Amino acid sequence: MAGFSYMPDLNMAASPSLDPTSLTYAIVVRCGPHQQSRALSAFQFTKEVLLQGHKVLSVFFYQQGVHTASGLRVVPQDELNLTVLWQQLSLDYDLDLGVCIAAALQAGITNQQEANRYELGSDSLASQFSLVGLGQLAAASAECDRLVSFGGN
Amino acid sequence: MSCLITLSHAPYGSQVAKESLDVALVLSAFEQQPAVLFVDEGVLQLLPGSQIPSPHKHIGKILSALEMYDINELWVEQESLDQFGLAIDDLSQTVNVVTRIHLGQLCAQYHQHLVF
Repeated sequence: MAGFSYMPDLNMAASPSLDPTSLTYAIVVRCGPHQQSRALSAFQFTKEVLLQGHKVLSVFFYQQGVHTASGLRVVPQDELNLTVLWQQLSLDYDLDLGVCIAAALQAGITNQQEANRYELGSDSLASQFSLVGLGQLAAASAECDRLVSFGGN
Repeated sequence: MSCLITLSHAPYGSQVAKESLDVALVLSAFEQQPAVLFVDEGVLQLLPGSQIPSPHKHIGKILSALEMYDINELWVEQESLDQFGLAIDDLSQTVNVVTRIHLGQLCAQYHQHLVF
């Protein structure tokens, strides 16, 4: 179940956006790429938000969602590769894809810097994704008009 | 920005309970005002003195840190307590009780709502 943010007043004056009809979103992805329909919902929602001219401050991958950022997943040819879809969306819209560093490292998803720090054999973070702290989620949720989370379980 | 964080997972068995509480702590550290609502198996996080399976952090310790982080609004759903035969006196923290029918009103008091 997606946990949608609740904002009773749709016309909040505090909107940081310039266009009065455009909103700023922060997206949280807590479902893994193996949970196809949920994970796809998160992607399609984000893409639609961008297509409609809204701004997405950041997409934050947490819990099972961090597996989306693995550069070592191989997806059967007739299935959607969510990692590639997110990468393309990030390139098209200059979209920030943040991955919780603590959850990622536990899942074996690491960038070059962390691989060196922990003396791991190799790195595995897919391009366009970056390892960040939970603070990025807190900062984005403070700044956005809408916080939308796609969940877990 | 106030945020209600709903916890519906049992304390151990996965990392979800711990990771969800981490979000509450970080939101507070960033000077937002998180509140926490325990529902379904999430109420089991409030049981005191549970034996901790070895790979996990003690949820009770994180809960007792909430106050230090100025997270004082803790809610628990009455029906979830009933489901597990628990009374408010059985819990490790001081919590407010809300009935299921009033959950909507509770959610409406916050700008944001994250469901774990």
